Amino acid sequence: MLRARWYKVINDLFGNKTRTLLIVLSMSVGLFALGIILSARTILSDGLAESFATIHPSSGTVRTTELFDEDFIQSVRKMEEVQDVDARRNISARVQTASGEWKNITIFVVADYDDIRVNKVASQSGAWPPPEREILIERAALSVIEAQVGDVVLVRFPNDVERRVRIAGSAYDPAQLPAQIDGTPYGYITFDTLKWFGEPYGFNELHVIATHPENKDWAQQVVNRVKDKAEKSGYTIPMSMTAEPGQLPMDDVLQGILLLMGLLGVLSLFLSIFLVVNTVSALLTQQKRQIGVMKAVGGSTLQILGMYLVMVLAYGVMALLLAIPFGAYGARELSSVLAVFFNFDIYSMDIPQQTYLIQAAVGLILPVLASLVPFISSLRISAAEAMSSYTMGRGRFGKNWIDQLLSGANLWFMRNLSIRSILLSVRNTFRNKGRLTLTLVTLTLGSATFISVFNVRASLTSTVEDMIKWFNCDVMLTFDRTYRADRVEFDALSVPGVAQTDVWIQLPTRFVRSDDSESGMVYMFAPTVHAESLIVSPTIAEGRWLMPGDDNAVVVPSAFLQDEPELHLGGDMMLKLDGKKHTFKIVGTYVGMAFLPLVYTNYDYITQITNRVGEADALMVKMERHDPAYVDAATRALEDHFERIGVRVSMVSTINNERTEAEASFDAIVALLLVMAILLALVGGLGLMGTMSINVLERTREIGVLRAIGAPNRGVALVFILEGVVIGLMSWAMGGLVAIPMSQGLNQALGQAVMGVPLTYSYSMPGLWLWLFIVVLLSVLASFIPARNASSLTVREVLAYE
Amino acid sequence: MNLATVSPLIELRSVVKVYNSLAGSVTALSGIDLQIFQGEFLVVTGKSGSGKTTLVNMLTGLDRSSSGEIWVDGEPLHKFGSEKAAKLRGRTMGVVFQTFELLPTLTVLQNVMLPMDFAWRYSRWEQRKRAMNLLEQVDIADHAKKLPTALSGGQQQRLAIARAMANDPAILVADEPTGSLDSATANAVIEIFEGLVQEGRTVFLVTHDKDIAKRGSRVITLSDGEIVGAKENVHA
Repeated sequence: MLRARWYKVINDLFGNKTRTLLIVLSMSVGLFALGIILSARTILSDGLAESFATIHPSSGTVRTTELFDEDFIQSVRKMEEVQDVDARRNISARVQTASGEWKNITIFVVADYDDIRVNKVASQSGAWPPPEREILIERAALSVIEAQVGDVVLVRFPNDVERRVRIAGSAYDPAQLPAQIDGTPYGYITFDTLKWFGEPYGFNELHVIATHPENKDWAQQVVNRVKDKAEKSGYTIPMSMTAEPGQLPMDDVLQGILLLMGLLGVLSLFLSIFLVVNTVSALLTQQKRQIGVMKAVGGSTLQILGMYLVMVLAYGVMALLLAIPFGAYGARELSSVLAVFFNFDIYSMDIPQQTYLIQAAVGLILPVLASLVPFISSLRISAAEAMSSYTMGRGRFGKNWIDQLLSGANLWFMRNLSIRSILLSVRNTFRNKGRLTLTLVTLTLGSATFISVFNVRASLTSTVEDMIKWFNCDVMLTFDRTYRADRVEFDALSVPGVAQTDVWIQLPTRFVRSDDSESGMVYMFAPTVHAESLIVSPTIAEGRWLMPGDDNAVVVPSAFLQDEPELHLGGDMMLKLDGKKHTFKIVGTYVGMAFLPLVYTNYDYITQITNRVGEADALMVKMERHDPAYVDAATRALEDHFERIGVRVSMVSTINNERTEAEASFDAIVALLLVMAILLALVGGLGLMGTMSINVLERTREIGVLRAIGAPNRGVALVFILEGVVIGLMSWAMGGLVAIPMSQGLNQALGQAVMGVPLTYSYSMPGLWLWLFIVVLLSVLASFIPARNASSLTVREVLAYE
Repeated sequence: MNLATVSPLIELRSVVKVYNSLAGSVTALSGIDLQIFQGEFLVVTGKSGSGKTTLVNMLTGLDRSSSGEIWVDGEPLHKFGSEKAAKLRGRTMGVVFQTFELLPTLTVLQNVMLPMDFAWRYSRWEQRKRAMNLLEQVDIADHAKKLPTALSGGQQQRLAIARAMANDPAILVADEPTGSLDSATANAVIEIFEGLVQEGRTVFLVTHDKDIAKRGSRVITLSDGEIVGAKENVHA
C-alpha cells in the first residue's frame, strides 16, 4: 500500500487527463525534436564515414591530356609514397534526355570492374559489369537524365560519334558529387564499348592513395609528385586535385547541415526547458490552494516539494515514452532522406545511446531542475495566502506603469467599442506578469526560431543570386582547346538570337607556398575586364574586383584564405602556370562555394604571360531574350553552328541551369530547414496551446463569476480567446525582432561552414506572415477549446472547480 | 478548573497583524492578548472583517504575525518558519475550514490518512485502521472509498473534522465550520466538537452564529482587530 500523498500524485496525474496530456505533449515535442536532431546527426556522420571507408577513397586525382597505359600505372604504383593507384578514362560526353534536351555526362571507362582498387564503384541494380555497348548510370543520376534501367539513350562523344546505348543497370559511386547537385550525371562503360564509339584505348585519370592518406599535407605532396612524374613522362596535366582526408564530396554542405541541426537542437532544448517551467508554474498556480491545504494539515515544504517533483518526473517519463520512439523514427527517416540526397549508404540505423541519455537527462533532470524555481517560489508563500479563495490577486494588477497604461482614461477609445471584452482581455493578459513573462519567453523563442529558419532559407536563395548575378550572360561554352577569340566571337554573333559575346581563358594552376610545397589544383579563370564585359564583379567579401589596368592582380575565394594561412588580402600569391612560377597580388576575396578553388585574373595579362594572346577556350554569350526556352533554343542553334564549322564544344552551361544547380546544392539544407520549421511550429504551437489551455483552466472559477454576473457563454469565451490572441500577437512581434540577430547567427555559422563567409542576409517576410497566421490560429484554438469546456459547466460546478 | 493556576496551551501576547495592499496598510489584529487552556471550548465571534480568520491563521501558524508572541504547547510559534510551524501544526493541531478544503483527488479515507503520512506517525496499516475509526466516529465510514465531491456538505465537514483529528491533536481549530451548512447539519457538527471537548481536547471555534457561540465554554468577541468582549458560559 502506498502512502496517502502518492495517491494524490497518481490521482492528479491521471485524474486530470486533459492537463496531463497537454503537459506531456508540450514536453515530448521538444524531446522529440532533440531526439531527431541528435540521432540523425550521429547516424549521418557515422554512415558517411563508414560509407566512405568502404570505397577505398583516393588521396587525389591527376588527369592527363594524353592517354597513358598500364605501364605508367605500374610505374606509379611502384612509387614508395604511393599506397595504391588505379586509373580510368574520363570522358566529357553529352546525353539526350527523354525530353530531347542534351546534357553533359561524365563517362568513366574502367578496365576491370571486379578489381577497382581505388574509389570503388559498386553495382546497385541490373547488370554488372556493364555489358558491351551498354552503359551503367550512377544511381543518383538516373533522375537527372530522366531515364530508368532498361531505357535506351542517345550518347554523343567529343569525337561527334553518336550511339544509342541501353542502360543495363545502375551503379553506386559515392566518390562523385551527387548528380542532382552538380547537374552532371555519371555513366560507366567498358573499353569495348569505348572502341565502339571510335575512341582509342587508354587512361587519362589516375586515382592515387598516399601512404598516409589521413595526412592532408603529405597526400598533397604525393599527388604533386605523381603529377611531376607524369609531366616528366611527357604528359600534360590539365587538372589535379587533392581530396580532404575522409571526406566525401559535398562534405562542407553536409557539415553545414549537421551544424545547423546542432544549433536548432540547442534552441529546441531551450524551448523545451521554457515549456517545462511554464507548464509546471501553471500547474502550481492551479494547485496553489491544495498546497495551502497540505501545509495546513502538517505537510512540510520538503514533503510537498517531493510530491510535485515526482509528478514532474512522471510527466517526464510519459513524455519520454512518446518522444523516444517517435524521435528514433523521425531520425531514421530524416537520415534516409539526407543519405539519398547526398548519395551515400547508411549501414546502421542504430540510435546512439547518448541520444537516449541526453533525452532522458533533458526529460527527467532538466524539468526537475527547471521546476525548482517555480516550486520554491510557490512553496514560500504562506499557507493562508495559498488557501485564500478566489481573489482579485495579491496586488497584481494596477500597481505599475503597464497596468496604469492599460487602465481607465488611456483606453478611452475602447469605451465606445461594442466588444467590451477586448478591454478585459487586454487587462487580463497583464494580470499575472510572471506567467506572462514565462509564456512570452517561450513563445518568443519558438516564434524567433521559426522565423529564423525561414530567414536562413531566404538568405540561401539570396546567396545563390549573389553568386550567379555576376555572370551577365545567358550561356557559357567551354571548348576542348583554345581558339582564336575574335573568330569564335564573330561566328557566334552570326547565329540568330545571339546579342553579345565575351571570351575568357581558363587554366589549371597551383599555389606555391613559401616552403616551395604546392597546393592542389587551383583553377584560374581569366575574363576580359572592360566596360562591356559579360562578367561583372562577384560578391566581394574583402578588397576589390579586377580593373582594366590590372596586371598581376588576383581575386581568390575567401574560403581559400582560410585553408592557406600564409595568404592574405594585399599579399603576394605565387602561382605555377605551365610549369613556370608567377607572382600575383591578392586584390580581393569573393564569396563562393569552396568545392573547387577558382581564382580570377585579368585576361589580357594572362594571355600575355602564357603566350596565348588573342586566344580563348571559353565563350560567354548574351542572348536577345533571356527566358529559358529562348535561351535553350538559341544555344542549340549556336552549338549546331560550331559543330558545322569544326569548333568543338566540350561543355555548355546556361545560367538558368547554373542557378537551378546552385540552388539544388542547398536543397537538402532548405528541406531540412522546412522540416525543422514544422517541428518548431509544433513545439511552439503546442507550447502556446498548453499555456493558454492551462491559463483558462486555472481561471475556471473566474469564468463562473463572469457567468454568475450574467455574461453569456460566447462573451466569456471571447474574453479568453482575445487574451490568447493578445499573447500570441505579442510573442509574434517580439519573435520577429529576436529573429533578426538569431538568423544572423545562423547565417554566420552556416555560411562559414559551407562557404567560409556568412550567407547574404535576407529577412523572410512570408515566414513572418505565415507565423502570424499560425500563432493567431493556435491562440484561438488553444483558448477556445478549454473556454468552451468551462462555459459548458453549470455556474455552481465552475465556482466549485479546483 | 482554576485557570489561573494552569499554564495555557496557547498564549498570544500583543499579537499584531498588518496587511499591506494597494489601498494602503490595514491592521487586521491590533495587540491581541489571549490565553487558551486545555479542555476549553473557546468560541470567537465578530462581524465580517473583525479579524477572526486572521486570528485563526496566527495561532495555527498558517500565516506570520507582524509582531507579538504566540506560544503553542510551550513552543514559540512566532519564531518558527513555515516548515517548523507545519510540523508543530501536524503534531499538536487539527484545522477545520468553512469551505472544508478537502483534497479532491484523494478518497475520503486517503484525505484522513494524509496528515498521518506527513507527520510520519503510525505505520501504513495503522494509518488506515485509525482513519477508518475516525470516519466511524463522524459517521461517514461507509463513504471511505468515495471522492469528497460525492459527499454532501455536512458529510464533507465531518470528513474535514476526521482529518483534523488524524494525528490525535490536543487542539482543534475550526474557522466557521458551520458557515456552509444548514442548521440541522451545523448542529450535528457542533455536537461532534462538544464530544471532543468532553474527551479533553481543546477547541478553538470561530463563528458569527450567536446560537453556536452560546455552546462554547468561553466566548470572546472581536471588532476591528481587538478583543472587545469576553464571557464565560455556564452549561448545565
